[in-house]
Amino acid sequence: MPLELGEGTATLIGVVTVDEVEELAGWLRATTRPKVNLRRCNHLHTGAFQALLLFRPKVSAAPTDSFLAERVLPLLARQGSEPP
Amino acid sequence: MTETQPKVLVVDDAATVRMYHSTLLTEAGFEIHEAANGLEAVEAALGTAFDLFVVDVNMPKMNGYTCVETLRSETVGTPAPVIMISTEDRPGDADRAYAAGANLYLVKPVVPARLVRISRMLTGRGVAA
Amino acid sequence: MNPLLAQFLAEAADLLTQVDEGLLQLERTPGDPELVNEVFRAAHTFKGSSGLFDFPELTKLTHAAEDLLDAVRAGELPLDSGMTDDLLATFDLIRGWLAYVTTEERLPSTAGADAASLIVRLRAPIGGEVVREAPTLSGPQAGDVAPAWLAYFDEEWLAETAAWLRTTSSQMRFIRYAPDSGCFFRAEDPLHLIRQVPALDRLNVIEPVEWPEAADYDEYACLVAFVCATRAGMGEIQYLFRYVVDQFELVDLDGDAIQRYLSGEIEIEVEPESGTAEKQDQKPSSSTDPALLADARAVLAASLKALALNPTNTCHLISLAKAITYAAHAFGDPVEIQEPDVVTLTATVTRLLGDTAEAVEDPVRTVVPLVAADEAPAAERRADDPGGQVGSRILKVDQEKVDHLMELVGELNVAKNGLTFLAGAAEEEFGSRALARRIKDQYSGLHRIAEELQASVMDIRMLPLSVAFSRFPRLVRDLSRRLGKNIELVLEGEDTMADKDVIEALADPLVHLVRNSLDHGIETSDERLASGKPTTARITLTAVADGDAVIVEIADDGRGVDPARVRRKAYEKGLISEEELETLSDVDAVDLVFRPGFSTAEQISDLSGRGVGMDAVRASVEKLGGTVTMRSELGIGTSTRLRLPLSMAVTQVMVVSVAGQRFGIPVDLVVETVRVPVDEMNRVLHQDVVVLRGEVIPVLDLARALDMPWIPDDNRDRAILIANVGGQRVGLLVEQFHREVDVILKPMEGLLAYADEFSGTALLGDGLVLLVLNMKEVLGLAARVG
Repeated sequence: MPLELGEGTATLIGVVTVDEVEELAGWLRATTRPKVNLRRCNHLHTGAFQALLLFRPKVSAAPTDSFLAERVLPLLARQGSEPP
Repeated sequence: MTETQPKVLVVDDAATVRMYHSTLLTEAGFEIHEAANGLEAVEAALGTAFDLFVVDVNMPKMNGYTCVETLRSETVGTPAPVIMISTEDRPGDADRAYAAGANLYLVKPVVPARLVRISRMLTGRGVAA
Repeated sequence: MNPLLAQFLAEAADLLTQVDEGLLQLERTPGDPELVNEVFRAAHTFKGSSGLFDFPELTKLTHAAEDLLDAVRAGELPLDSGMTDDLLATFDLIRGWLAYVTTEERLPSTAGADAASLIVRLRAPIGGEVVREAPTLSGPQAGDVAPAWLAYFDEEWLAETAAWLRTTSSQMRFIRYAPDSGCFFRAEDPLHLIRQVPALDRLNVIEPVEWPEAADYDEYACLVAFVCATRAGMGEIQYLFRYVVDQFELVDLDGDAIQRYLSGEIEIEVEPESGTAEKQDQKPSSSTDPALLADARAVLAASLKALALNPTNTCHLISLAKAITYAAHAFGDPVEIQEPDVVTLTATVTRLLGDTAEAVEDPVRTVVPLVAADEAPAAERRADDPGGQVGSRILKVDQEKVDHLMELVGELNVAKNGLTFLAGAAEEEFGSRALARRIKDQYSGLHRIAEELQASVMDIRMLPLSVAFSRFPRLVRDLSRRLGKNIELVLEGEDTMADKDVIEALADPLVHLVRNSLDHGIETSDERLASGKPTTARITLTAVADGDAVIVEIADDGRGVDPARVRRKAYEKGLISEEELETLSDVDAVDLVFRPGFSTAEQISDLSGRGVGMDAVRASVEKLGGTVTMRSELGIGTSTRLRLPLSMAVTQVMVVSVAGQRFGIPVDLVVETVRVPVDEMNRVLHQDVVVLRGEVIPVLDLARALDMPWIPDDNRDRAILIANVGGQRVGLLVEQFHREVDVILKPMEGLLAYADEFSGTALLGDGLVLLVLNMKEVLGLAARVG
């Protein structure tokens, strides 16, 4: 199961596909001060990524997947969009 | 809209280039046939009415110019547009292509989107009416 | 690996072989125009395909080789052996690169440096370096103008990158990927696509200017866009993004372009927009796609040229009418052409071009910035251009698939053999002879099918010996040059077929034998002259089929083996006794060279003297179930003959057991099985022997040799298997004989890999693993145990 939705923390595991996007977005929408654990996440569907970008949960554990860690995490960590 | 797929004959001796062009055009909705030299192309054209030819210049057995000439000759007599694609461009090559009967002479590598665009245009597809 | 690259690597392997073979043949028949053309063709095709990838060094190097070959083809200069060396070195280097590409999907970082000196050498005979870059896919956009969306990259990084790109005169690809909002419904995952971009250097997300309220947020609408920077090739990127061409934009920028952007030299017409629903078009354009307009214009301009150059062919005119009509349609200016004659068409095109365009561009030049037009030798290509063998009706199958099929056949055989066990059980355990017979009937039906299946799979695996021979022209050529000997290599019977495993296994022994001939067998030219021989020596490699075996012979007309010297040497090394020194026949003496520890070479040369002797050759051939023999005549020459099974996939073994453990012995070695009453066993000099038809045969106890707990029962006859090992008869005392079975022999692996007394393992029908004995080693063990 790619999504483990807890009280305040969602754990994303393996490949998060488009099928998980709705559930994740719903959880983010409903949770106050959500946290996500990405350690065991291998890929984030763009829809999931976009939801994280919008709701900006705190990332409680960084992914080990190198693409997510090096390329995607910095985008999530960034404060706001910065079009020049 | 149910259209029959335009039939394109991709002629190139380099298998990789053939695959490249074929993949692009197949994905763009063309029905692709392949030939590895001019002779095979002429043979194929005798059996099938193609809507477009994409022909390499430098090939063994029968080169692109002779191939296109033969396609336009009475032997085959195809009025379908011909795009010739050459690996290198030497002075006079374009003229030879047009004299042989090509409709457009391009130099490799052709940007994929452009090949698709031109192929669509020359088969009367994809041109927004 | 993407399928395009895989295709290229497969094609490249074929082309490189063609080039190599052609070059070597050319040395023998210099100037043969067909050969030159063939080699040129292969190199040309190779370059054409390589241009699809971002391997600039590869394309450059091939281009240099191709230019040299082109000059040879045009008769401008003859191909000398120095040039051949350079060309061979070039394609060797390329072969090495491709091996690297196979695993790494990029060229080794040393490629540029490695290629540079070769390019200089290749270009030297044709007037030195030509500044003429082969176009690669990056051609059209190389030196593109920086787009406004560069603003989404970190400025500091851009500045650094610009400086670096300028220093190294290289470029970087920048992508803007604005997926449309419905893309998730088409199963597209933009982030997944970006993940696949090779050599990704930077990634940034473009968020919508305004996010919707959380309550209104539609998680299935894609609202974000991406920009990234990569060192991947244009071809790779375009291939990757081929499904979303309408959603992405790609530019190839050099340092200058980025610098100009940074210093604000370019006017930015469009502010970076939020990449939501908008399409990619940032260029100022009329209502229609500007690219399409440009293409339409190119077609019209081309039509004008074609009309001038070929105004009479009716088919051509009709095709031009079509093209013109379609192009006009693209302009939104439809025309109707009633009469496709030159005058009407020319008038139509001229009007359309006048109406639509700024300056009419040369259709070619709009596509690709033209390569510097240097004096090109007349492009006289004949219609009957001979060359390449493309298009043969051969299905290329991945070797692994055939191997897998063979494994399945093996398993089928094993399963099939299981039926005979079942039949035995039906009769013995359940007492049903009728059932046993029915099972046996089923077995024979299955057996027939399995045999046919096996035969056809084996047939697929059959390769001509030319595969094993193909490396020798090159090897002999290189070595003979190094040794300063003149050698002609003759290949015969290359069409003889054998199983691919046999052919592969043959490679090393053959190389060793040929090197040996070159090194020790063949005299120097002076020596040959002195002994009245032609200065050019000859090495002949012959293959012939012989029943279910293939015989490969390596013969040379060199100095031959001196039996007297061999005898003396063997004696000095303690390999033979003083008595043998006197009595050993010349034929037997020559065979001494296969003894471990024997080497006739006075000094070890750098060629064959790598510690691998003829004994290793014999060992490896025997491991394949083959034999090696050597015949030699002093002063006349030597010939070494390898006899190998045509196929080694299936081995027939005789199953025996001792201490309850079963072992296999290759049936080829088994002479007979006998049961000898205990009192007929004899002992001679601490050695058990049995006398069969007047012949005294030593008998070895397998249990003792393998250190297994088994003492023969004195009340039962001794079961002795008589085997022929290395021309000698030996008896092997075992507990019990079983049947003969067909097995697929697998090499020993893991812990057992060092157990030399076994040549392999096989799976039996009842699921047990059978160890197949390496009889030679077993005899050695038995002798040591004594």
